[in-house]
Amino acid sequence: MRNRLKIERAILDITQDELAKKIGVSRQTINSIEKNRYVPSTELALKLSKIFNKPVNDFFYLDE
Amino acid sequence: MRTGTLLDSERKSLKKLTKFQFPNYFKKIGFTLAIISFTVIILNKFAIDNAVIKSIAKYGMLVGLLLVSVSREKIEDELVIRLRMESFTFAFIAGVVYALLIPMIDYTVDFLIKAEAIFKDTGDFQILWMLLVCQICYFELLKKVR
Repeated sequence: MRNRLKIERAILDITQDELAKKIGVSRQTINSIEKNRYVPSTELALKLSKIFNKPVNDFFYLDE
Repeated sequence: MRTGTLLDSERKSLKKLTKFQFPNYFKKIGFTLAIISFTVIILNKFAIDNAVIKSIAKYGMLVGLLLVSVSREKIEDELVIRLRMESFTFAFIAGVVYALLIPMIDYTVDFLIKAEAIFKDTGDFQILWMLLVCQICYFELLKKVR
């Protein structure tokens, strides 16, 4: 599973720390997700979807 | 309907029990208690040599390490919960392997050095100490490389 979290974050112009605070996780968790080391839960993905105002499929996708 | 409600309440109380954690400041209390107990164990070994003090210090050390082990992180998110579970799995396996291997190693070393050996069990303090230290160290390592 890969993601476009970094790009979406850049569009909103927010830091990892700011995004982390918005969804109630640590900055390291956001970093791990961006580096594809950790796949978040559905709950966290939906929280991110709300922040980015986009469906989850737009920023999380399966590896071809 | 009634059975369903009973099962629900049982599920809730089980979840409450498995999710139980002390607040973050208990980590500092635990570390302090473990360090004090460790110092007392060392002092007792070389200076005092009292069996009661030794037992109390051993208990203190286990309680301190347990407090560190079951205290929340400052931000307890889902990644931290997963890393904690991984560290518990690792510590459990390491503890069992340790309990199985150490008596055999002791026996072999005794046999090679003294040419006679008795098969001794690993003590409960030794196993619990090893398990808790393994969990705490592996959890800290996982957090560092997350």
